[in-house]
Amino acid sequence: MNRLLLPCLLVVAAGAAACGGPGGPTRLTFSGSALGPEAEIVRRQLVRFGERHPGVQVELRVTPDAADQRHQLYVQWLNARVPDPDVLQLDVIWTAEFAAAGWILPLDSVAPDVNDFLPAALAASRWRGTQYAVPWFVDVGLLYWRTDLFSAPPSSLVELQHAARGVLDAGATRFGLVWQGARYEGLVTVFLEHLGAFGGAILDAQGRVVVDEPEAIRALTFMCDAVKADGFVPPSALTWQEEQVRFAFQNGDAAFMRNWPYAWALLQDGTESRVENRFAVAPFPAGENGRPTAALGGAELAVNAHSANPALAWELVTFLTAPEQMLERARLAAQLPARRSLYDTAALAEALPIPLDQVRQALDAAASRPVSPVYTEMSEILQVRLHRALTGQEPPEAALRAAAREIRTLLARSGLAAEGPVP
Amino acid sequence: MNGPATTIARTDARLARRLVAPTLTLILLVSLVPIVATGWEALHGHDLRLPWLGRPFVGLANFVEATGDQRAGSAVLHTAAFALVSVPLELALGLALALVMHTAVRGRAAIRVAALLPWAIPTVVAALVWRFMFDAQAGIVTSPLRAVGLVGESFDWFVHPLAAWVPIIGADVWKTTPFVAILLLAGLQTIDPALDEAAQIDGAGPIRRFITITLPLLGPALVVAAAFRTLDALRLFDLAYVLTGGGPGTSTEPLSLYAFIALMQRLRFGYGSALSVMVFLLTFVVALLWVRVLGRSVAGERA
Repeated sequence: MNRLLLPCLLVVAAGAAACGGPGGPTRLTFSGSALGPEAEIVRRQLVRFGERHPGVQVELRVTPDAADQRHQLYVQWLNARVPDPDVLQLDVIWTAEFAAAGWILPLDSVAPDVNDFLPAALAASRWRGTQYAVPWFVDVGLLYWRTDLFSAPPSSLVELQHAARGVLDAGATRFGLVWQGARYEGLVTVFLEHLGAFGGAILDAQGRVVVDEPEAIRALTFMCDAVKADGFVPPSALTWQEEQVRFAFQNGDAAFMRNWPYAWALLQDGTESRVENRFAVAPFPAGENGRPTAALGGAELAVNAHSANPALAWELVTFLTAPEQMLERARLAAQLPARRSLYDTAALAEALPIPLDQVRQALDAAASRPVSPVYTEMSEILQVRLHRALTGQEPPEAALRAAAREIRTLLARSGLAAEGPVP
Repeated sequence: MNGPATTIARTDARLARRLVAPTLTLILLVSLVPIVATGWEALHGHDLRLPWLGRPFVGLANFVEATGDQRAGSAVLHTAAFALVSVPLELALGLALALVMHTAVRGRAAIRVAALLPWAIPTVVAALVWRFMFDAQAGIVTSPLRAVGLVGESFDWFVHPLAAWVPIIGADVWKTTPFVAILLLAGLQTIDPALDEAAQIDGAGPIRRFITITLPLLGPALVVAAAFRTLDALRLFDLAYVLTGGGPGTSTEPLSLYAFIALMQRLRFGYGSALSVMVFLLTFVVALLWVRVLGRSVAGERA
């Protein structure tokens, strides 16, 4: 026994020593996505922060590329109350969860100046009236349309439907519209845009579940018809995520595509793309009684509740969310800044590959997903039910009734049910 | 009675127990402790993402929830249906393959290597290959079917709730038939060829000889193969995870995949553990049944 115990103790002691004894440099750890150019940008900006703060050593803690794996890792770390990473990059849909769990610090005491941030992004970074994170960059759902097939983007869903059907009947493209229909988070963002277009929502302003209301049923019926009755969305789209959807549009097979801003630069790459200079973007159009809606994605920065250096961590958040850093990110990774004022600058227009006026229209239509600590499970319930309806296993109405019932049970079980009866 | 022989036997037994003790401890640590820990966790309400609810003891509430959970119910049905369809197919094809390998005179080694190849490929890789084969646009299975008009222009295996099972079952049968075949081949080789010759001299035809001699004597090997395959089939996870993700909807979701989602995606440790315990119990009960069948078939052979 003793022969085993001693080496174990030594390992633990060595680990503790590595974590910086007194007198060493203050260590600050940052964890976030390091996909493609992101790793380089973050490294560069962390070095600059270190130069301004002598004696501070900032480390990048690399996490898996897949968002749900990063989420799982964060939950495990924060549950164990580890003090690092000090600063965390959160997906917009996680903030409420982490805030409610007490894993990230409320920022009200440091009184962040948030007036400049996009309202939808700001809404996603608050929980029960308190600011818990700072928006970093945003993502918005866009309708890509072919300028060689149409002279203007569709101004309504009916127009989109007719235009898509028209090109199909004329044999101009193989598919009318393509969107992310696989059973994953992307499907919920597509549904959210249809919901907004018909004036529906998942939760209302009081947090009640309204996803089984007539507007929502009309929205899902429109999506189901698009696949089945009207046939302008290919059934295979029900297995597609962002990249498969992009390939279809990039090969010239689709007249319309719903996707995120990242696709723009790739579609403009003439060596791979057949639609170079033949497309533009617009917000996803409105249907009856609704408004154009663009699902909001993106990332926020928050401070670990058990950070050993919360003040310094907050400084890092302030630094990374400053306009210069956002502009650099826009230039190198084409990620949209979360600050409104930047959209009036020539610097951003130069930095971004997408024409700024087209992006702004979509940002004005941005809608955040439900802000709830159990959003990921809520979304999973929806993914299954939406997919069942879209693959013809369940009528839209029954699917949404079941989804609403399951979400109400979830909220009740989590102690989060809004006022009002829980059936 | 207490002669020196019994004393020696007793000392030997004591020594044997001591020698076995470390192994037993290890087995307890790696198999029994996790099972008991999972069972204990299953009796608690524990959601990693809802720390304000704590980790209260809830008795059998998680199991009660599971019995009322439509998705868990259909996952059990999916698992059972998969086992009922894939195992007989594997046994039949495996038996055919074993007979070929047994009677082959030339190129025996080559045939065995070729037959075993699918079994040696990692399941996840095999699943990816099958996914490509059944791809709706360019899959080598889909394209010819479309060319002859058997499936429509927009047909997609992975969008159809029943058709999505075809690649899963196909991949499983393709991959594990060799395993069954090797087990049965070993069984075939233990059958005394003299029995067959005697029957032949008595005028029995090949089919008669197969039914009255080979098949009964192959019984124990068949039961072992069936038992292994059933237990494996009940734990179906990776093929469904990679090929369909359990979709469309949840129409190809087996119980282990649902348990995984509850545990690792929803991070509901209590409920997920309850589902895991159900997977364990299901497999355990079926294993016990097979052990009894096996005991009977071996006894029958000896009688």
